[in-house]
Amino acid sequence: MLTLLCASVIIFLALEVVPGDPASVMLGVNAQPETVAALKQELGLNVSKPKRYFNWVSGMLAGDFGVSYTYRTPVRDMIADRMVISFPLALYALLLSTLIAFPAGIIAATRRGAVADVSVMGTTQLGIAIPNFWFAMILVSIFAIKLRWFSAGGFPGWEAGFLAGLKALTLPAIALALPQASILARVMRSSLLDTLGEDFIRTARAKGLTAGQALWHHALRNALIPVLTIIGLQFSFLLAGAIIVENVFFLPGLGRLIFQGITQRDLIVVESVVMLLVFAVVMVTFLVDIAYAAVDPRLRRRM
Amino acid sequence: MRSQRNLFIGAFLCVLFLVAAVVSFVWTPYDVTQLNIANKFQPPGMPHVFGTDHFGRDIFSMLMVGARTSIAVALVAVSIGILFGVPLGLFAAANRNTLIDEIIMRGNDLVFAFPALLIAIMITAVFGPGALNAIIAIGIFNIPVFARLSRAAALSLWERDFILSARVSGKSSMRISVEHILPNLLNLLLVQGTIQFSLGVLAEAGLSFVGLGAQPPIPSWGRMLAESQTFISFASHVVIFPGLAIVLTVLGLNLLGDGLRDYFDPKLRQSIPELKKHGGTH
Amino acid sequence: MSLLTVTDLQISIGGVSILRDIDMSVDRGKVLGVVGESGSGKSMTAYSIMRLLPVGSKASGRIELAGKSLFGLSESDMCEVRGRDIGMIFQEPMTALNPLKSIGDQVAETISVHTTISRSEVRRLTLETLTKVGLPPDEFPLSRFPHELSGGQRQRVVIAMAIALQPKLLIADEPTTALDVTTQAQLLILLRRLVDEDGMGLILISHDLAVVANTADNIAVMRDGVVLDTGSVKNIFSDRRHPYTTELLEASTHVPVVNESELESVNPEPVNPKPVNPEPVNNAPLLEVQNLVREYKLPRGGLFKPVRYLRAVDNVSFTINRGENVALVGESGCGKSTLSRAILGLESIQGGAVYLDGQPIVYGAERSLDQYRKMQVVFQDPYGSFNPRHTVARLVAEPLFALEKKLQKPARQQAVANVLERVGLQSSDGSKYIHEFSGGQRQRIAIARALISRPSLIILDEAVSALDVSIRARVLDLLAELSGSFDIAYLFISHDLSVVRAVADRVLVMKDGSIVEQGETDAVFNSPEHPYTKKLIASVPRLAYAV
Repeated sequence: MLTLLCASVIIFLALEVVPGDPASVMLGVNAQPETVAALKQELGLNVSKPKRYFNWVSGMLAGDFGVSYTYRTPVRDMIADRMVISFPLALYALLLSTLIAFPAGIIAATRRGAVADVSVMGTTQLGIAIPNFWFAMILVSIFAIKLRWFSAGGFPGWEAGFLAGLKALTLPAIALALPQASILARVMRSSLLDTLGEDFIRTARAKGLTAGQALWHHALRNALIPVLTIIGLQFSFLLAGAIIVENVFFLPGLGRLIFQGITQRDLIVVESVVMLLVFAVVMVTFLVDIAYAAVDPRLRRRM
Repeated sequence: MRSQRNLFIGAFLCVLFLVAAVVSFVWTPYDVTQLNIANKFQPPGMPHVFGTDHFGRDIFSMLMVGARTSIAVALVAVSIGILFGVPLGLFAAANRNTLIDEIIMRGNDLVFAFPALLIAIMITAVFGPGALNAIIAIGIFNIPVFARLSRAAALSLWERDFILSARVSGKSSMRISVEHILPNLLNLLLVQGTIQFSLGVLAEAGLSFVGLGAQPPIPSWGRMLAESQTFISFASHVVIFPGLAIVLTVLGLNLLGDGLRDYFDPKLRQSIPELKKHGGTH
Repeated sequence: MSLLTVTDLQISIGGVSILRDIDMSVDRGKVLGVVGESGSGKSMTAYSIMRLLPVGSKASGRIELAGKSLFGLSESDMCEVRGRDIGMIFQEPMTALNPLKSIGDQVAETISVHTTISRSEVRRLTLETLTKVGLPPDEFPLSRFPHELSGGQRQRVVIAMAIALQPKLLIADEPTTALDVTTQAQLLILLRRLVDEDGMGLILISHDLAVVANTADNIAVMRDGVVLDTGSVKNIFSDRRHPYTTELLEASTHVPVVNESELESVNPEPVNPKPVNPEPVNNAPLLEVQNLVREYKLPRGGLFKPVRYLRAVDNVSFTINRGENVALVGESGCGKSTLSRAILGLESIQGGAVYLDGQPIVYGAERSLDQYRKMQVVFQDPYGSFNPRHTVARLVAEPLFALEKKLQKPARQQAVANVLERVGLQSSDGSKYIHEFSGGQRQRIAIARALISRPSLIILDEAVSALDVSIRARVLDLLAELSGSFDIAYLFISHDLSVVRAVADRVLVMKDGSIVEQGETDAVFNSPEHPYTKKLIASVPRLAYAV
C-alpha cells in the first residue's frame, strides 16, 4: 500500500514538472487566453498541484481516472479498451514461458552434462540474448509473410470470438515468452540442481526412493521457491515488454495508448497507465508472497 | 573446460564490438551520414558487405557506429547503478536493522516496481526523447539492482568472524565496509556488472526501437530495426543484421559473465555436489 | 555368519583413490564403531554400503548383507534394499529433513514406498515408530513440520525414518556431532536400545573416540582411506596395537603441560615497545561483569500483540583476574556467544555493566582505542575468521590499529614476524594468503592476531572446537605456553567440557542465559552442585569407562 502511495506521488511529481501546459498545447500557439482558461477549467487544471494530486488519487480509488485532455473521453474507458489486450497478452506469454521453461529446466537438471542439458543450456543462452521485438519481427516475416499462418498484426477484438483473439495474440505472446522462458528454464535448472544436492534428497534416497521419486516428491517443490520469485519479477518485464511488442504487431494495447499520450501531451493518460502498470507489478509481488506461504510451511505463521 | 570456453568466446565477442565501436570514430567503410537513395536496398555482398538500407547507407558502417551508442549507453548506465547502488547497499548493510536501512530498502523496492521502460517513458514524457534519457532511465533501474545485491552480500559478510575481529580492533563500520566488505564484493560486482551491461544493451535497443532512445542522426541498432520494420517483406537483410549485432553483443556479455562467475567460484558449478556436502576433504 | 561383510573395498573418485582395501564386518545386535579424523574416508565407506556414492566414483570389492552381494544388485533392487534392509542416519539433522513436508509424511514415506499396506496401517506404524524414538504423538503430532522441532528432535525423526521397517542394518554417520552433549547422550542410549531390542546391526561413525567407545562393541580405526586397526573395544585400547590408535587416544585425553625451560629460552621482543601509560600494578579484577542483561526484540506475533523480548543473557555477573584462565561452558543457545559479544562491546546491552581494568566498556564510537587493544578474540571457524583477500601479515597486523601510537611500517613488519614465530609459524608466512594454510595453522594465525596488540584478555570463542583431536591438542599446548610467558587472561567459551577441564582455572556453567554454577575447575567437576552441571558432566562420553 505504502509502495503504491509513494509511487503515485513520484509519478505525479515527475509528470507535473513537465514544461508546457497541456491546454495551450492542445489549442495551438495562436489560441486566445480566454479559450485556454476555459479549457483549463474544464480539465480541472486550474486548481493547485496538491489539490490536483488529491483529485487524481481519490478519483482513481473510486475508479475514475479523469478525462483525457486530447480526446475528452473518460480515461477509464480508454484504459479498459486497451487492457483487454495487454493483460491477456502478458498472461498468455507467462503461461507459455512457464510451460516451456519447467520441462526444459527439469530435463536439463536431471540429465546434467548430457546432450539434452547442453542443448537446453545453449538454446536458453541464445534465447536470453534475443531482443523480443526483433524476435517478433522474425516471427512476422516467417509465419505471417512467408507462411501466412497468422496475420502480420492488428487485433480483431474479442467480439470476433475468443479463438480469433487468441490467434492474434499468439505470435506476440511467443515473441514475449521466449526470452523469459530462457531465463526461467535456467533458474529452474540451477535451483533444481541445488535442491538435488541437499541433504534431505540424500535422506530420501536412503529411504529407498528412486532418483525419480526423490525428484518428484521432494526436490521439485523445494526448487520452486526461487522460481516463483523470478515468475513474479517476469510479470513486470512481460507487461513492459508487451508495450514494445505491441508496436511490432500494431496491437491497440496499453503500450500504444501510452505512446499516443506522450506525443499528444495527454499527461493524465500517461499518469494513469503508468500507475496501473505499477499497481499490477505490486499486486503480482503480493501474490507471489502468498504463493510462497502456500509452498513453504515455514512462512505460514508469519502471514 | 566449459567455463574457460565461455570466458573465451564471451571475451572475444565483447572485444570485437568494442573494437568496432572504437574504430568507428576514425574510420568506417562508408560515410553513414551520406544518403544515396539510388543505391538503396543493395543486397549483402560486395562492395556493401551487409547491404544498404532504405537511404542507401552502408549497414556494416551503421552497425559500427551503432555499437558506439549501445556500449556508451549501457556502460554509463551500469556505472550509474554501481556508483549509487553499491554505496547505498553497503551503507544499509552497515546500519542493518535500523530505520535508515529500512528506508533505503523500501526506496529500492519502490524503484524496483518501475520497469526501466516505464522510467524511460516518464522521463521522455517530461524531457522528450534522447540518448541521455535512455542512460538515465536504465541507470536508475540499475541502482536498486546493485543496492540489493551488495546489501545482501554485505549482510552475510557482516556475520563473518573476520569482520568481528576487525571490529574488535576498533575499526569503524565505514572503514570496515571499505577495507573488508568491498574487496570481497568485487567479483560479484564484476559478474553482475557484465550481466547488467547486457541487459542495458537490450534495454537501449528496446527504447530506441520505440523511439525513446537515441534520436537521428545518431545511429542506433534499435532504431535501425524500427526503421526497417516496413521493409521486412522484401529486404530481410535490413532486419537481420542489426538484430544479429544485438544478439551477439548480449550473448558475448552473458557468456563473459558466466565465465567470470565460474572462474571466480568454481565451487558454484562443482560437478560432484555430494562431495561438497560431506566436507571432510579439506 | 556376519550380518554385513565388507571385503577388499576400493573406491576412487575421478581417478583419485579414496578408499583402499577396506575390510569390516558387523554382527546382528552388535555395534561397530568406525573412528577417524576428517578425510579418513569413514563416511565414504558408509555411502558405498548404501551405494549412494558421488557421480564419477568407481567401486570394487565385495559388500554382502546377510549373504546377499549388494554390488551385484541392479539400481531398482538396491532401492528395495535401502530403507527396508539398511537404514541410515546423517550428521546434520537441520538439513536432513525436507522442510516442506510434515514429519508424519516423511516417516510414513519409508513405509509406503516399500509396502502396499493400507493407509491406516501406515499411519499406525508411523505413530508407533515415532513413539519408539521418543516422540509420542500427543506431544509431537504427525502434522508437525521440521522447523518446529529442535535439532535433537529432528534427529529422532531421522532415526524413526531409518528404523520404521526394522532394517537389518543401521548406519549412523556422525549422528550426534551437531548436537549438544546432553542430547548426544540421550541419542546414543536410544541407538543402543534399538540395537538391543530389535537385534539390528549398527555402524556408528564418529570422529570422537569417546562417543564410539561407550556405545560400540567393536571398533575400526580409519585414516587416509585405510582401516588401520580393528578389534573389540576392550582389546583395542588395552593392547594399543597401532600407534595411530594410541595417538588418537592420547590426543583425546590430552592435558597441556607447560614446559618451563622452553619458556625461559624464548624471550619475545615486546611488540609495543613503550606502553603509553605504564599500567599501575593493581589487584583489582581485570574483567568485571556486573548484572549484564542482553535482550533481543522478537518478531511480533501479530499487529496488535505487545512487543516481546528474548533475554539471551540474564543478569550475569563474574570476574576474571589478571593471568587467570576462566572457562564459560554451556550448550548451544545458552547465550554464551551473546555474552562474549556483549563483553567485547560488539552489541549493546540492556542492563548491567562490563568493566575492563576498572573502565566501563561502552558500545559504539566513544570507546577508547586502548580498550580495544586490551581485549582480543579468537573465533571457532578457522575458515571464516580471515578476510581471504588480505595477506597473512595484513590480517595479523589488524589489531595494531587499536594502538594509540601507530607503528611505522618496519616496526609493524617486525611485530608481525615476532608473533608469527611465537605461534610456531615462519615469519615468511606473512606474505602468503590464508587459503594456503591448514585449519590448525589458521587457528595459530588467529592466535597471533589476538596476541599482537599485547592484550590483557583473549576471548577464545570455541577456538578449538572445529579442529581434529590431534591438532586441537597442539593448539591447546600453544595456548597454555603463551599464557605462561605473556601475562594474559583467557576466557574460554566452549560446549566441550573435556577441553575446558584441561585448561581452565575456574569454570562458569551457563544455562538459559544465566550462570548456574561457578567455581574452581576441579571442585566443579568433582562435586557439581547444580543439577544441570551434574547432568552435563554425566553426559560427557568418557574414555575412562570404556578402557
